[in-house]
Amino acid sequence: MSFRSRLLAGFALTVFVSVAAVTLIVSAVTRRAFERANDERTTALVAQFQHAFNRRGEEVVQRVEAVAASEVSTRIALNLNRNAPNYAAYLSEAKSLADSQKLDFLELADSDGTIISSAQWPAKFGYHELFSLTGPVPKDAFLRQEDLPTGPALGLSAIRKVDVGDKSLYVIGGRRLDKNFMASLELPNGMRAMLYQKLSEEKAGAAVSPQYLIDPSGTLQQPDRVAPLIEQVLKTRQETTAIVHWSSDASDDESVHAIPLGGQDNQILAVLILGSSRRSVVELQQHIRSAAILAAGVGITLAIMFSRWTAARVTRPVEQLADAAREIAAGNWNTKVPVTSSDELGALAKSFNRMTGELLEHKEQLLKAERVAAWRELARRLAHELKNPMFPLQLTVENLIRARQQTPEQFEEVFQESSSTLLAEISNLKTIVSRFSEFSRMPQPQFQSVQINHIVQNVARLLQAQLQSGNRIPVECKLELSRAPQPIAADPDLLYRAVSNLAFNALDAMPEGGSLTLRTRDGANGVLVEISDTGIGLSADERERLFTPYYTSKADGTGLGLAIVQSIVSDHGGRISVRSQPGQGTTFVIELPRNLDKLPVTGLIQTEYEAKM
Amino acid sequence: MRRSGLPLLVVTSLLFGDVTSAATRPRYGGTLKVAMRAAPTSLDPADSSQPESFARRNLSGLIFDTLVVLDDQGRPQPALASSWKSEPGSQRWQFYLRPGVTFHDGTALSSGTVAASLRTANSKWKIFSAGEGIVIECDAPAPNLPVELAMARYGIAKRDGAKLTGSGAFSIAHWDPGKRLTLTARDDYWGGRAFVDSIEIELGKSLHEQMISLDLGKLDLIEVASDQAQRAMTEGRRIDTSSPAELMALVFATDRHSSGDLQQRETLALSIDRTSLSVVLLQGGADPADGLLPNWMTGYAFLFSTDMDVSRMQPEHGNPRQMSPWTLSYDATDPVARLVAERIALNARDAGLTLQPTNSVNADLRLVRIPLASLDARIALTNLATSLNLAQPTFNGDSANDLYVAERTLLQSRQVIPLLHLRFASALEGSVRNWNTDREGGWRLQDVWLGTGKP
Repeated sequence: MSFRSRLLAGFALTVFVSVAAVTLIVSAVTRRAFERANDERTTALVAQFQHAFNRRGEEVVQRVEAVAASEVSTRIALNLNRNAPNYAAYLSEAKSLADSQKLDFLELADSDGTIISSAQWPAKFGYHELFSLTGPVPKDAFLRQEDLPTGPALGLSAIRKVDVGDKSLYVIGGRRLDKNFMASLELPNGMRAMLYQKLSEEKAGAAVSPQYLIDPSGTLQQPDRVAPLIEQVLKTRQETTAIVHWSSDASDDESVHAIPLGGQDNQILAVLILGSSRRSVVELQQHIRSAAILAAGVGITLAIMFSRWTAARVTRPVEQLADAAREIAAGNWNTKVPVTSSDELGALAKSFNRMTGELLEHKEQLLKAERVAAWRELARRLAHELKNPMFPLQLTVENLIRARQQTPEQFEEVFQESSSTLLAEISNLKTIVSRFSEFSRMPQPQFQSVQINHIVQNVARLLQAQLQSGNRIPVECKLELSRAPQPIAADPDLLYRAVSNLAFNALDAMPEGGSLTLRTRDGANGVLVEISDTGIGLSADERERLFTPYYTSKADGTGLGLAIVQSIVSDHGGRISVRSQPGQGTTFVIELPRNLDKLPVTGLIQTEYEAKM
Repeated sequence: MRRSGLPLLVVTSLLFGDVTSAATRPRYGGTLKVAMRAAPTSLDPADSSQPESFARRNLSGLIFDTLVVLDDQGRPQPALASSWKSEPGSQRWQFYLRPGVTFHDGTALSSGTVAASLRTANSKWKIFSAGEGIVIECDAPAPNLPVELAMARYGIAKRDGAKLTGSGAFSIAHWDPGKRLTLTARDDYWGGRAFVDSIEIELGKSLHEQMISLDLGKLDLIEVASDQAQRAMTEGRRIDTSSPAELMALVFATDRHSSGDLQQRETLALSIDRTSLSVVLLQGGADPADGLLPNWMTGYAFLFSTDMDVSRMQPEHGNPRQMSPWTLSYDATDPVARLVAERIALNARDAGLTLQPTNSVNADLRLVRIPLASLDARIALTNLATSLNLAQPTFNGDSANDLYVAERTLLQSRQVIPLLHLRFASALEGSVRNWNTDREGGWRLQDVWLGTGKP
C-alpha cells in the first residue's frame, strides 16, 4: 500500500470514527431526550386516565347514593324493619333501580348481608353477599369482584347504607369494567387502555389468562406481548413501564404503563395497562436518523474527497523525492527535486538536491580515480603481457647478434632457430593485441526475438563436439530446459557467446571430469539461464573479483572472458550472479528481461537467429 | 248460555227484554281481538313438526272438532261422535258420527273423511269407515281411546291438497302463517253459533306488547306470563289463571352413566329450592312440582316430595365429585326460564355441583316447559314421556297405584327432574263476557260474547 493510500486510509478512518462517534453520541442523547419526553407524556397520560377513572368512580358513587336516597330503597328498608324480607316483592326492584341509574350492578342487602334483590343476578335473592358489610362504609368507589351467572366479573363499585329503623339496607352498585367501560373513558389521542382482570376463578399461580385481558374492542389480540408485564406487576405489586413490540414495524410499538389495581382488602384485582403509541416518536426518530445518515454520508464523502486532496498535496513532494531517488538509482544523477515549500518537506527536498549534487561530484571523482586505476591496470597488464614475449625476443636477437661472429653454418643454424622463435613470439604478441582490441570493440546488441532454449541447445551441441574430440576427460553434459519459455528480445550472437564462454569456463573448472548442466527457467520478468559444474569451485575472494577485467585464475587466461560475459548481460539489461563453494562446483545464473519493448516495430516476433542456426 | 240460533235471540230480545238487564244478557256480534306469543306456521292439527303448545291447542279447537271432548272431570263427552263402544279387550272401538254435521265448505261430515283424518294423525291405528261410523283397531288394549281422541291433534280435518277445512265453530277467513289469523263464526255450526262474529288473532306478539295493547284497548284477550299474573292482578287488570297445567323440568341429554352420575343427579334434584322458584321467581304463578303430573290431576304427587334437604346433598357426605361442570340450556326468549336456570345454578353450587346456564342447544341439561296434553292423567303422562324423550310409561292396570308406579318409574330414571307446574294466565278486557276455560286453561272462545263496559 502506498504512502498516499495509507495516509488516505488514515484520514478516512479518522473521519469515519469521528462521524460515527458523533452520530452515536447524538443518537444516544436524542434517544434519551425522546425517552424522557415519552416518559413525561406517559406520566401525563396516566394522570389523565386516572383522573377519568376517578371521575367514573365519583359517578358510580353518585348513582349509588341516588339509589339509596330513592323512595323505593326507603320503602324496602322500612319493610325490613317490619317483616321478614319478601323476596317476591323485590325481585325486580334492583333491576329497575339499576336501569334507572345506568348501573351494571346493583344489589340490595340487609344488615346480615343477605341479598334482598339483585340486578345482575336476580335469582340470587336470599343468598349472602360475598363482600363483608361489617365496618364503616367506604366513602369512595372501589374495585370489586362481582359474582354473575356467567362467571365472575370486575366492577367499580360503591356502597351506601340506608338507615331506617334498627335494620339497615345496603345498596351496593357499580359499573362493570368491561370493554364498554374501557371505551367510555375519554383518553387522549394515541393512547388506549387495556385491563387484565384477576378474577378468583383463575388458578393461583397460573399464567395470564388471555380471555380476561380486554381492551375497548373486546378481547385483546396478541395477549402474549403484555403477559410478562402483567405477571411482573402481579408479582411485585408495583407499577411497571415497558415498551411492547406488537409487530416488526417499530411504529406499532407502544410505551406501556402497567398499574396494579387493588380492592378493599388490598388484593390485586386487576392490572390496568395504559398503552401510549410510539408512532410519532418512532417516526421522528426515523426522520432524525435518516437526516443523520444523510449528513454522515455527505460528510464522509466530503471528508474522503478532502482527504484525497490533502493526501495528494502532502505526498506529492514525497513522491517527487521517491521518483528522484529512483532516477538516481537508475543512474540519472542529474535529477533534481523541485522545492515548492519552505516547510520540512521543502528542507528535505533541498537536502536531497544537495545530497545528489554531492553524490554526483563524488561519483565523478570516483570515475576519474577508477579511470586512472583502469589505465594503470591496463598499462600494467599490457606491460606484463608484452613483457613476456619481449624477453625471448630480446634474447633471440642478442643470440643472433652473437651468432654473426660464428661460422656461417652455425649462424645459419642459429638464424633458423631464432627466426622460428621470433615468429612465434610475434604471433603471441599479435594474439595479445587482438584480444585487447576485441575487448575494446565489444559491439552493441542487435535485439530480435529469441528462444533461449535454442541458444542453450546450440551451445550444448558445440560442447558435445568438443567433448567427443581428442583425449578429453569425460564430462557429462546435461540439459534442463523450460518446456515453453517465453521468447525474449536479445542479440542471439552475443548471448551465444556469453553462454558458451561460461560453458567452456565450466569445462576448464573440471580437470578431473564431472557434470555440466545447462538449465533454463521462466522468471517473473524474464528468463534465467544457469550453467552449473561440479568442478573445484571458487573461494569467496575469487567470487568477489571474478568479473574484474583482466582478473583470471587460469594460467593462460587474459581475465577478459567473464568481463565480456558481464558486459553482454549488462547490455541486455540483465544480471549475472554466481553461487559457488570451494570443492562443490559453481553455478552462474544469468537473468535476462524480456525486453520486448526493444524489438523493432514490426509487430512480429522474429526468429532470425533460429533460422540462421 | 249460548242460544241455538240468532233468530230466536232477536225475537226474545224484542219481546221480553228490558233496558236495565241488556248488559248482562248474551249478545251476538262483534270481533274478539286476541294476541298470542306463539307463532304457529301451520294450523294442521296432525302436524307433528309443530311444537305442542297451549296456543296451538286453543287455535285448533276453534277450527277443528274432535270426535270426543272432555268435561272438567276429564270424562269423555260426545262431540262429532255421538256415541261409541268397544269390543272386549278394548282394542277395537267403533264410533258413531253425529248426523247433520258439515265442514266449513258445506260438505257433510262422512266416515271416510273422519277415518282419513285420523289416519294422518296416527298411522299406527287401523281405521276404517263402517256405515255411519268408523272403527279403530289398536295394536294393544286402549281403554282410554275416547279420551285420547279428545286431544287437539285428533281434530277432524278435511284435506284437499294443502287446503284444510274443519267443522269447528269458526272457519278461517284469513291466514297469514305465524302472523295473523282471522276466524269467522259459522251460523250452521252443529253446536250452535258462537256469539262473536269473528276473532282476530295476532301471532308472535311478545307478552309485553300484548299487555300494552290490552291497556290501550286494542286487544280483548291476551296471554300473561305466569310470573306476571299476580302483579297484573294487583295492578287492577282482569286476570284469569288455570290450574297448574304446564310442567317445567330439567331434562338430562343423556342417560346416567354411572352410580356416581346418578348420585349427582339426585343431589341436584334435592338441592333445588322449588318453593323459592314458585313463590319468588314465578310470583306464585306456579306450584312446586315433585312429580311429573300435578297433584290436582293424580292426588298422589305429594308422595314424590323433594323438599330441599341440605344434609343429604353435601359432597362431604360421600357424594362423588363432579367430573366436569354441567351446562344447562334454557329458552333465551323466556325471561322466567333464565331466572329459574340461574337460581338452579346457585342451588346446585350449594350442593357442590357446578351448573353453567347457557343459551347453547347442546347442553348437558335442558330446562323445558311442556303443557299437559290431556286432562286424563295416563294420556298426559304418556305425552310427557314422549315430549321428554323418556321411555313410554307402562300401566299395569287402571288404578291410581298403577299410575303412581308408572310415574315413579319415570322419575327414578333420573332423566328428568320436575321443578314446577305453571298456571296459564290470561288477561281480559272488561267487555269480554261469559269467559270460561278448561281446567287445563284452554280457552272456550265460542262461549264468549262482547258486552259494553265492565262485567
